[in-house]
Amino acid sequence: MKYFWSNFFIPQEKNNHRASILKPYFLFLLVGFYLFNQSVIKFVSLAKPGILGYSSEITAQKVLDQTNIERQKNGLEPLQYNSVLSESATQKAQDMFANNYWAHTSPTGTPPWNFFKNVNYKYSVAGENLARDFYDTDSLIKAWMNSPTHRDNLLNNKYQEIGIGVVNGILGGVKTTLVVQHFATPLNTIATKTNLTPITPIPQSISETNNAQILSESQTKYLSPLLLSKIIGLIIFSLIIVVLFIDGFITFKKNIHRMTGSSIGHIGFLLVILLFMLYTQQGAIF
Amino acid sequence: MIIPKEIKQKPLEYIFLGFIFLVGLILYFFAGFNSHNQRLIVYGLSASYFFWSLIHHYKRGDLHLSIVIEYLIIALFGIALLTFSFF
Repeated sequence: MKYFWSNFFIPQEKNNHRASILKPYFLFLLVGFYLFNQSVIKFVSLAKPGILGYSSEITAQKVLDQTNIERQKNGLEPLQYNSVLSESATQKAQDMFANNYWAHTSPTGTPPWNFFKNVNYKYSVAGENLARDFYDTDSLIKAWMNSPTHRDNLLNNKYQEIGIGVVNGILGGVKTTLVVQHFATPLNTIATKTNLTPITPIPQSISETNNAQILSESQTKYLSPLLLSKIIGLIIFSLIIVVLFIDGFITFKKNIHRMTGSSIGHIGFLLVILLFMLYTQQGAIF
Repeated sequence: MIIPKEIKQKPLEYIFLGFIFLVGLILYFFAGFNSHNQRLIVYGLSASYFFWSLIHHYKRGDLHLSIVIEYLIIALFGIALLTFSFF
Protein backbone atom coordinates (compact mmCIF):
# COMPACT_ATOMS: atom_id res chain seq x y z
CA MET A 1 0.00 0.00 0.00
CA LYS A 2 2.86 2.37 0.94
CA TYR A 3 4.58 1.69 -2.37
CA PHE A 4 1.33 2.21 -4.23
CA TRP A 5 0.94 5.75 -2.87
CA SER A 6 4.63 6.68 -3.12
CA ASN A 7 4.35 5.88 -6.81
CA PHE A 8 2.05 8.88 -7.21
CA PHE A 9 4.21 11.40 -5.38
CA ILE A 10 7.85 10.30 -5.39
CA PRO A 11 10.04 9.74 -8.46
CA GLN A 12 11.55 6.23 -8.34
CA GLU A 13 12.59 3.43 -10.62
CA LYS A 14 9.09 1.91 -10.65
CA ASN A 15 7.52 5.05 -12.13
CA ASN A 16 10.44 5.73 -14.46
CA HIS A 17 11.73 8.46 -12.12
CA ARG A 18 8.69 10.69 -12.55
CA ALA A 19 5.90 10.98 -9.94
CA SER A 20 2.80 9.47 -11.53
CA ILE A 21 0.70 12.58 -10.76
CA LEU A 22 2.96 14.57 -13.10
CA LYS A 23 2.55 12.21 -16.02
CA PRO A 24 0.38 13.61 -18.85
CA TYR A 25 -2.49 11.14 -18.41
CA PHE A 26 -2.78 11.87 -14.69
CA LEU A 27 -2.51 15.64 -15.22
CA PHE A 28 -5.24 15.27 -17.83
CA LEU A 29 -7.43 13.45 -15.29
CA LEU A 30 -6.88 16.16 -12.65
CA VAL A 31 -7.68 19.02 -15.04
CA GLY A 32 -10.65 17.02 -16.39
CA PHE A 33 -11.94 16.59 -12.82
CA TYR A 34 -11.62 20.36 -12.28
CA LEU A 35 -13.49 21.14 -15.52
CA PHE A 36 -16.21 18.59 -14.60
CA ASN A 37 -16.70 20.39 -11.28
CA GLN A 38 -17.05 23.70 -13.11
CA SER A 39 -19.75 22.17 -15.32
CA VAL A 40 -21.62 20.95 -12.22
CA ILE A 41 -21.40 24.44 -10.64
CA LYS A 42 -22.67 26.04 -13.86
CA PHE A 43 -25.47 23.48 -14.11
CA VAL A 44 -26.59 24.09 -10.52
CA SER A 45 -26.49 27.89 -11.14
CA LEU A 46 -28.83 27.54 -14.10
CA ALA A 47 -31.06 24.70 -12.87
CA LYS A 48 -31.56 26.05 -9.33
CA PRO A 49 -31.09 29.82 -9.56
CA GLY A 50 -30.30 31.46 -6.23
CA ILE A 51 -28.64 28.47 -4.52
CA LEU A 52 -25.19 29.77 -5.37
CA GLY A 53 -24.41 33.45 -4.86
CA TYR A 54 -22.62 36.22 -3.04
CA SER A 55 -23.56 37.87 0.23
CA SER A 56 -22.75 41.57 0.41
CA GLU A 57 -22.53 44.22 3.10
CA ILE A 58 -22.64 47.13 0.64
CA THR A 59 -25.18 49.89 1.28
CA ALA A 60 -26.02 53.04 -0.70
CA GLN A 61 -24.95 55.14 2.30
CA LYS A 62 -21.48 53.56 2.42
CA VAL A 63 -21.03 54.00 -1.33
CA LEU A 64 -22.01 57.67 -1.06
CA ASP A 65 -19.71 58.31 1.92
CA GLN A 66 -16.69 56.64 0.31
CA THR A 67 -17.29 58.34 -3.03
CA ASN A 68 -17.27 61.73 -1.33
CA ILE A 69 -14.18 60.81 0.71
CA GLU A 70 -12.33 60.06 -2.55
CA ARG A 71 -13.51 63.36 -4.04
CA GLN A 72 -12.43 65.32 -0.99
CA LYS A 73 -9.01 63.61 -1.05
CA ASN A 74 -8.65 65.00 -4.56
CA GLY A 75 -9.74 68.51 -3.61
CA LEU A 76 -13.24 68.24 -5.13
CA GLU A 77 -16.62 69.24 -3.74
CA PRO A 78 -18.66 66.31 -2.36
CA LEU A 79 -21.56 65.15 -4.50
CA GLN A 80 -25.03 65.84 -3.24
CA TYR A 81 -27.39 62.94 -2.84
CA ASN A 82 -30.44 63.06 -5.12
CA SER A 83 -33.31 60.66 -4.50
CA VAL A 84 -34.54 60.96 -8.09
CA LEU A 85 -31.13 59.93 -9.41
CA SER A 86 -31.15 57.03 -6.96
CA GLU A 87 -34.48 55.98 -8.40
CA SER A 88 -32.99 55.94 -11.91
CA ALA A 89 -29.95 53.97 -10.65
CA THR A 90 -32.21 51.48 -8.88
CA GLN A 91 -34.35 51.09 -12.02
CA LYS A 92 -31.21 50.40 -14.04
CA ALA A 93 -30.14 47.64 -11.62
CA GLN A 94 -33.64 46.15 -11.64
CA ASP A 95 -33.66 46.25 -15.44
CA MET A 96 -30.37 44.29 -15.55
CA PHE A 97 -31.86 41.61 -13.30
CA ALA A 98 -35.16 41.53 -15.21
CA ASN A 99 -33.50 41.23 -18.63
CA ASN A 100 -30.48 39.26 -17.42
CA TYR A 101 -27.68 41.45 -18.77
CA TRP A 102 -24.58 43.21 -17.45
CA ALA A 103 -23.79 46.29 -19.52
CA HIS A 104 -24.37 50.02 -19.84
CA THR A 105 -26.66 49.42 -22.82
CA SER A 106 -29.32 46.70 -22.58
CA PRO A 107 -29.57 43.91 -25.19
CA THR A 108 -32.61 45.71 -26.62
CA GLY A 109 -30.49 48.85 -27.11
CA THR A 110 -31.70 50.89 -24.12
CA PRO A 111 -28.92 53.32 -23.14
CA PRO A 112 -28.36 54.38 -19.50
CA TRP A 113 -29.72 57.85 -20.28
CA ASN A 114 -33.24 56.41 -20.73
CA PHE A 115 -33.36 55.70 -16.99
CA PHE A 116 -32.66 59.39 -16.27
CA LYS A 117 -35.52 60.30 -18.61
CA ASN A 118 -37.85 57.72 -17.01
CA VAL A 119 -37.61 59.54 -13.67
CA ASN A 120 -37.88 62.92 -15.39
CA TYR A 121 -34.38 64.07 -14.44
CA LYS A 122 -33.06 66.61 -16.95
CA TYR A 123 -29.28 66.85 -16.98
CA SER A 124 -26.58 68.85 -18.68
CA VAL A 125 -23.99 66.12 -18.09
CA ALA A 126 -24.38 62.56 -16.78
CA GLY A 127 -22.45 59.34 -16.18
CA GLU A 128 -22.89 55.78 -14.95
CA ASN A 129 -20.71 53.32 -13.00
CA LEU A 130 -21.66 49.66 -12.58
CA ALA A 131 -20.35 46.97 -10.23
CA ARG A 132 -21.32 43.44 -9.23
CA ASP A 133 -20.25 40.59 -6.93
CA PHE A 134 -18.38 42.77 -4.43
CA TYR A 135 -18.59 41.85 -0.77
CA ASP A 136 -17.58 45.19 0.75
CA THR A 137 -17.64 48.86 -0.18
CA ASP A 138 -13.87 49.36 0.25
CA SER A 139 -13.04 46.84 -2.49
CA LEU A 140 -15.75 48.27 -4.72
CA ILE A 141 -14.50 51.86 -4.47
CA LYS A 142 -10.90 50.68 -4.84
CA ALA A 143 -11.83 48.85 -8.06
CA TRP A 144 -13.52 51.94 -9.48
CA MET A 145 -10.59 54.15 -8.48
CA ASN A 146 -8.15 51.77 -10.20
CA SER A 147 -10.04 51.94 -13.48
CA PRO A 148 -9.33 55.19 -15.39
CA THR A 149 -12.84 55.51 -16.88
CA HIS A 150 -14.66 54.84 -13.59
CA ARG A 151 -12.23 57.08 -11.72
CA ASP A 152 -13.02 59.85 -14.22
CA ASN A 153 -16.69 59.59 -13.26
CA LEU A 154 -16.00 59.54 -9.52
CA LEU A 155 -13.64 62.52 -9.70
CA ASN A 156 -15.41 64.55 -12.37
CA ASN A 157 -15.83 68.14 -11.20
CA LYS A 158 -18.65 68.66 -13.70
CA TYR A 159 -20.97 66.45 -11.63
CA GLN A 160 -22.91 67.96 -8.75
CA GLU A 161 -25.29 65.17 -7.80
CA ILE A 162 -25.30 61.42 -7.33
CA GLY A 163 -27.86 58.64 -7.05
CA ILE A 164 -27.01 55.11 -5.95
CA GLY A 165 -28.87 51.88 -6.53
CA VAL A 166 -27.89 48.81 -4.48
CA VAL A 167 -30.13 45.93 -5.50
CA ASN A 168 -30.00 42.20 -4.78
CA GLY A 169 -31.25 39.65 -7.27
CA ILE A 170 -30.38 36.70 -9.48
CA LEU A 171 -28.20 37.36 -12.52
CA GLY A 172 -27.19 34.47 -14.76
CA GLY A 173 -28.57 32.03 -12.17
CA VAL A 174 -26.38 33.43 -9.40
CA LYS A 175 -27.54 35.50 -6.44
CA THR A 176 -25.66 38.79 -6.40
CA THR A 177 -25.67 42.49 -5.54
CA LEU A 178 -25.60 45.07 -8.31
CA VAL A 179 -24.37 48.58 -7.54
CA VAL A 180 -25.24 51.41 -9.92
CA GLN A 181 -23.99 54.98 -9.54
CA HIS A 182 -25.71 57.71 -11.57
CA PHE A 183 -23.84 61.00 -11.70
CA ALA A 184 -25.28 64.19 -13.14
CA THR A 185 -25.61 67.91 -13.05
CA PRO A 186 -29.19 69.11 -13.49
CA LEU A 187 -29.99 71.16 -16.57
CA ASN A 188 -32.15 73.47 -14.52
CA THR A 189 -30.96 73.52 -10.94
CA ILE A 190 -34.04 75.44 -9.72
CA ALA A 191 -36.47 72.95 -11.27
CA THR A 192 -34.81 69.97 -9.60
CA LYS A 193 -34.02 71.69 -6.32
CA THR A 194 -36.98 70.03 -4.58
CA ASN A 195 -35.41 66.61 -5.11
CA LEU A 196 -32.03 67.60 -3.80
CA THR A 197 -30.95 66.32 -0.41
CA PRO A 198 -27.84 68.28 0.36
CA ILE A 199 -27.05 66.67 3.68
CA THR A 200 -25.98 63.10 4.25
CA PRO A 201 -27.03 60.63 5.61
CA ILE A 202 -29.40 59.35 2.96
CA PRO A 203 -33.08 59.91 3.90
CA GLN A 204 -34.57 57.14 6.03
CA SER A 205 -37.08 56.02 3.43
CA ILE A 206 -34.27 55.15 1.03
CA SER A 207 -31.69 53.81 3.44
CA GLU A 208 -34.25 51.73 5.30
CA THR A 209 -35.32 49.98 2.13
CA ASN A 210 -31.80 49.30 0.95
CA ASN A 211 -30.28 48.50 4.31
CA ALA A 212 -33.11 46.20 5.30
CA GLN A 213 -32.68 44.33 2.06
CA ILE A 214 -28.92 44.11 2.42
CA LEU A 215 -29.06 43.11 6.08
CA SER A 216 -31.55 40.36 5.46
CA GLU A 217 -29.45 39.07 2.57
CA SER A 218 -26.18 39.21 4.49
CA GLN A 219 -27.65 36.99 7.19
CA THR A 220 -28.15 34.28 4.58
CA LYS A 221 -24.90 32.53 3.76
CA TYR A 222 -24.72 31.73 0.08
CA LEU A 223 -22.26 29.34 -1.41
CA SER A 224 -20.26 31.53 -3.79
CA PRO A 225 -19.65 29.71 -7.10
CA LEU A 226 -16.38 31.59 -7.59
CA LEU A 227 -15.21 30.63 -4.09
CA LEU A 228 -16.15 27.01 -4.73
CA SER A 229 -14.24 27.04 -8.04
CA LYS A 230 -11.29 28.67 -6.32
CA ILE A 231 -11.17 26.08 -3.49
CA ILE A 232 -11.34 23.06 -5.83
CA GLY A 233 -8.80 24.69 -8.17
CA LEU A 234 -6.42 25.50 -5.32
CA ILE A 235 -6.53 21.93 -3.97
CA ILE A 236 -5.52 20.53 -7.39
CA PHE A 237 -3.03 23.39 -7.85
CA SER A 238 -1.37 22.72 -4.46
CA LEU A 239 -1.19 18.99 -5.16
CA ILE A 240 0.60 19.56 -8.49
CA ILE A 241 3.00 22.19 -7.15
CA VAL A 242 3.95 20.16 -4.03
CA VAL A 243 4.66 17.06 -6.13
CA LEU A 244 6.66 19.21 -8.59
CA PHE A 245 8.82 20.45 -5.72
CA ILE A 246 9.36 16.90 -4.39
CA ASP A 247 10.09 15.67 -7.91
CA GLY A 248 12.51 18.52 -8.64
CA PHE A 249 14.32 18.07 -5.30
CA ILE A 250 14.79 14.30 -5.61
CA THR A 251 15.93 14.38 -9.25
CA PHE A 252 18.33 17.21 -8.41
CA LYS A 253 19.76 15.32 -5.41
CA LYS A 254 20.09 12.02 -7.30
CA ASN A 255 21.20 13.76 -10.51
CA ILE A 256 18.62 11.86 -12.58
CA HIS A 257 18.28 12.60 -16.31
CA ARG A 258 14.81 12.13 -17.75
CA MET A 259 12.88 13.00 -20.87
CA THR A 260 10.08 14.97 -19.22
CA GLY A 261 8.88 18.55 -18.98
CA SER A 262 10.91 20.99 -16.91
CA SER A 263 9.80 20.91 -13.26
CA ILE A 264 11.44 24.33 -12.75
CA GLY A 265 9.46 25.76 -15.68
CA HIS A 266 6.18 24.27 -14.40
CA ILE A 267 6.81 25.56 -10.86
CA GLY A 268 7.61 29.05 -12.22
CA PHE A 269 4.50 29.14 -14.40
CA LEU A 270 2.20 27.90 -11.63
CA LEU A 271 3.67 30.39 -9.13
CA VAL A 272 2.92 33.23 -11.57
CA ILE A 273 -0.67 31.93 -11.84
CA LEU A 274 -0.80 31.83 -8.01
CA LEU A 275 0.34 35.48 -7.84
CA PHE A 276 -2.39 36.41 -10.34
CA MET A 277 -4.94 34.62 -8.15
CA LEU A 278 -3.76 36.40 -5.02
CA TYR A 279 -3.87 39.77 -6.75
CA THR A 280 -7.22 39.33 -8.48
CA GLN A 281 -10.02 40.45 -6.22
CA GLN A 282 -13.69 39.65 -6.10
CA GLY A 283 -16.20 41.60 -8.07
CA ALA A 284 -16.44 43.14 -11.51
CA ILE A 285 -16.98 46.68 -12.75
CA PHE A 286 -18.33 48.09 -15.99
CA MET B 1 24.12 29.08 -4.27
CA ILE B 2 22.80 25.77 -5.62
CA ILE B 3 21.68 26.11 -9.23
CA PRO B 4 19.96 23.09 -10.79
CA LYS B 5 21.93 21.48 -13.61
CA GLU B 6 18.98 22.09 -15.94
CA ILE B 7 19.45 25.86 -15.58
CA LYS B 8 23.26 25.68 -15.69
CA GLN B 9 23.10 23.93 -19.05
CA LYS B 10 20.78 26.44 -20.72
CA PRO B 11 20.94 29.65 -18.65
CA LEU B 12 19.78 31.97 -21.45
CA GLU B 13 16.61 29.95 -22.04
CA TYR B 14 15.68 30.15 -18.38
CA ILE B 15 16.50 33.86 -18.24
CA PHE B 16 14.16 34.33 -21.20
CA LEU B 17 11.47 32.29 -19.43
CA GLY B 18 11.89 34.46 -16.33
CA PHE B 19 11.54 37.53 -18.56
CA ILE B 20 8.25 36.15 -19.99
CA PHE B 21 6.92 35.63 -16.45
CA LEU B 22 8.05 39.10 -15.35
CA VAL B 23 6.40 40.82 -18.33
CA GLY B 24 3.21 38.82 -17.67
CA LEU B 25 3.18 39.87 -14.01
CA ILE B 26 3.79 43.55 -14.78
CA LEU B 27 1.10 43.66 -17.48
CA TYR B 28 -1.39 41.84 -15.24
CA PHE B 29 -0.91 44.25 -12.36
CA PHE B 30 -1.22 47.23 -14.71
CA ALA B 31 -4.49 45.81 -16.07
CA GLY B 32 -5.98 46.52 -12.62
CA PHE B 33 -9.60 45.42 -12.40
CA ASN B 34 -10.11 45.21 -16.15
CA SER B 35 -10.97 41.52 -16.36
CA HIS B 36 -11.00 41.54 -20.17
CA ASN B 37 -7.36 42.67 -20.35
CA GLN B 38 -6.37 40.34 -17.49
CA ARG B 39 -7.86 37.42 -19.38
CA LEU B 40 -5.92 38.34 -22.54
CA ILE B 41 -2.69 38.54 -20.50
CA VAL B 42 -3.30 35.06 -19.01
CA TYR B 43 -3.92 33.63 -22.51
CA GLY B 44 -0.76 35.38 -23.78
CA LEU B 45 1.38 34.15 -20.88
CA SER B 46 0.16 30.56 -21.19
CA ALA B 47 0.74 30.56 -24.96
CA SER B 48 4.23 32.05 -24.48
CA TYR B 49 5.07 29.37 -21.88
CA PHE B 50 3.88 26.65 -24.23
CA PHE B 51 5.95 28.02 -27.17
CA TRP B 52 8.97 28.44 -24.90
CA SER B 53 8.69 24.73 -24.00
CA LEU B 54 8.60 23.73 -27.70
CA ILE B 55 11.80 25.67 -28.43
CA HIS B 56 13.47 24.53 -25.19
CA HIS B 57 12.85 20.84 -25.80
CA TYR B 58 13.54 21.06 -29.53
CA LYS B 59 16.99 22.46 -28.74
CA ARG B 60 17.49 19.78 -26.10
CA GLY B 61 16.54 17.15 -28.67
CA ASP B 62 13.71 15.57 -26.65
CA LEU B 63 10.61 17.17 -28.13
CA HIS B 64 8.22 14.23 -27.79
CA LEU B 65 4.44 14.20 -27.94
CA SER B 66 4.12 13.32 -24.23
CA ILE B 67 6.20 16.39 -23.30
CA VAL B 68 4.12 18.64 -25.58
CA ILE B 69 0.92 17.31 -23.98
CA GLU B 70 2.37 17.82 -20.49
CA TYR B 71 3.04 21.53 -21.17
CA LEU B 72 -0.30 21.95 -22.92
CA ILE B 73 -2.19 20.56 -19.91
CA ILE B 74 -0.25 22.74 -17.44
CA ALA B 75 -0.88 25.86 -19.59
CA LEU B 76 -4.60 25.04 -19.97
CA PHE B 77 -4.90 24.38 -16.23
CA GLY B 78 -3.48 27.86 -15.53
CA ILE B 79 -6.03 29.42 -17.90
CA ALA B 80 -8.95 27.35 -16.52
CA LEU B 81 -8.06 28.13 -12.90
CA LEU B 82 -8.16 31.90 -13.43
CA THR B 83 -11.04 31.89 -15.90
CA PHE B 84 -13.41 29.92 -13.68
CA SER B 85 -12.32 31.48 -10.40
CA PHE B 86 -12.37 35.15 -11.32
CA PHE B 87 -13.36 36.22 -14.82
